[in-house]
Amino acid sequence: MRPDDDQTSASTDDDRLTANDAAERVGVSPSTLRRWASLGLFTKNDTTGGWGPSAIAQARALLKLRERGYSIEQIQQATEEGRLVGYSEELVGEVVGERYSLAEAAEQSGLKPAVIEELIAAIGLPAAALDDLGAEDVEMFGFFSTAIESGFPRDALLQTVRVYGQAVSKIADAEVRLVHLHVHEPLIRDGVPSEKIEQQMNVITAQLLPLFSPVIDHLHRRFLNHFVEQDIVGHMEDDAGASEIGQVRVAIAFADLAGYTQLTEEVGDEEAAGIVERFVANVNQTLPDDARILKTIGDEVMIISSDAGSLTDWAVGFQMLNNERPLPRIGVHCGNVVFRDGDYFGREVNLAARVAARAAAGEVIVTWPLVEMSGRHLEFEPIGEVQLKGFSTATELFLASLADEASE
Amino acid sequence: MAPEFTSTEQFRAVIDGVMTLMSEDPEMGPQLREADVPQRFEFDDLDLVVNARAAREGEGGNLHWEWSDEIDWEPKVRLTMSSEVANRYFQGKENVPVAIARRRIKAGGDVKSALALIPITKPIYGLYREMLEADYPQLVV
Repeated sequence: MRPDDDQTSASTDDDRLTANDAAERVGVSPSTLRRWASLGLFTKNDTTGGWGPSAIAQARALLKLRERGYSIEQIQQATEEGRLVGYSEELVGEVVGERYSLAEAAEQSGLKPAVIEELIAAIGLPAAALDDLGAEDVEMFGFFSTAIESGFPRDALLQTVRVYGQAVSKIADAEVRLVHLHVHEPLIRDGVPSEKIEQQMNVITAQLLPLFSPVIDHLHRRFLNHFVEQDIVGHMEDDAGASEIGQVRVAIAFADLAGYTQLTEEVGDEEAAGIVERFVANVNQTLPDDARILKTIGDEVMIISSDAGSLTDWAVGFQMLNNERPLPRIGVHCGNVVFRDGDYFGREVNLAARVAARAAAGEVIVTWPLVEMSGRHLEFEPIGEVQLKGFSTATELFLASLADEASE
Repeated sequence: MAPEFTSTEQFRAVIDGVMTLMSEDPEMGPQLREADVPQRFEFDDLDLVVNARAAREGEGGNLHWEWSDEIDWEPKVRLTMSSEVANRYFQGKENVPVAIARRRIKAGGDVKSALALIPITKPIYGLYREMLEADYPQLVV
């Protein structure tokens, strides 16, 4: 059933808009919206009359396609092939319902409009989001307002929401891409009719979506516990006054696969990506409790640890567990770094990356502070003072390995 | 002070229990059988060796192990550790690469295969602790 074209002045219920309101929400004229609907460009229309969240979200996606130059015929064909399936009522959430201007949202939440603008930018939402604020947005701003009122510094709040935005957008991106690659695309390739694709996608969405928020909430609490524990240990171990405000002392390791570019040439992208996936999983599975992967960039992982000794031990032990090409190469360094937006910055991080770049396949290269902190079970062969790229002074580097049992 | 086994017999009984748990676990067992990585564990303080491999056709369970080096297969991975480290290892309290660097575990052979087994065998940590809590509470670390 098509959305009810006759309703032009009043919403049918809370979740349904009139054609005029829907057109305004999408950014096209009511006649364009009706024409798209009559051409069957929507793969899912509302069954209760009016225009609901799914239809509006789909119409917005269609508008984007039109803006990118796709013709109505091309879109029609894609719809018939099931390529434009993707939106269900559960997925799109709050695209209908009451809208708020920036001033109204500011008044309701207790934040200044400029602060809301800053927060939206920090989260990573486009500026256009400010023209489309819903009740849940206003509620979120209310939480931020409470945080500021309770004494949480504004700069720290901005950093926190920046991390939220980056992390959550990464999760959403991964969810959509993985469903696309492993569910939607195979159905299209198998020539499954569009109605069946839509049906299957809706079932998956309906079954999976309710799980996401509780799972993320649960994991968030698990990680909070872990990091609070780490923080307490860090307080005990940190030399008072050794780091400036906003800085932390950490051990940093960079690890990647030597010869990975050549390997990609030899085995192809798919197999090479699988090798990287196993490498990152191996790192993740074997890291000590006080260390974690901060990020991955291609075949490179950046690891942070509060315990320099155990990170160096891990690096040497990890190399001993790898005896097949492509062999990892690892550089470890430690020092005071700036913590900002959930990431670590500064000279010492750059230095750690350069140290890793000096390592050959199967090697662990470390700097002097690590040599000082490590036990006698490791030995460190001096490489000499090396002029690392971008650094004005030379850095003393050492090749770490297991000591002879006799010398322990 | 680290918990100690009261006797070699107790240690063998506990490791037999671990092997049985891994062999019969509906997730770990088939995965270990599929991975087919024969392992030799040497417990140097007790002068004990156990060799384990995937069960063959006709053998019960998913794993087969013998407390001997007199075996008709070649181990792919060799791990040497003390009984105390083994107890910590199966409780998930011994980080393998760190333990190797600190010489608490010595690894030989196709160590890459040992690395691949780490995620498969992680569920044993909880199962082993449950077994200890029930039968050998003094060994819980």
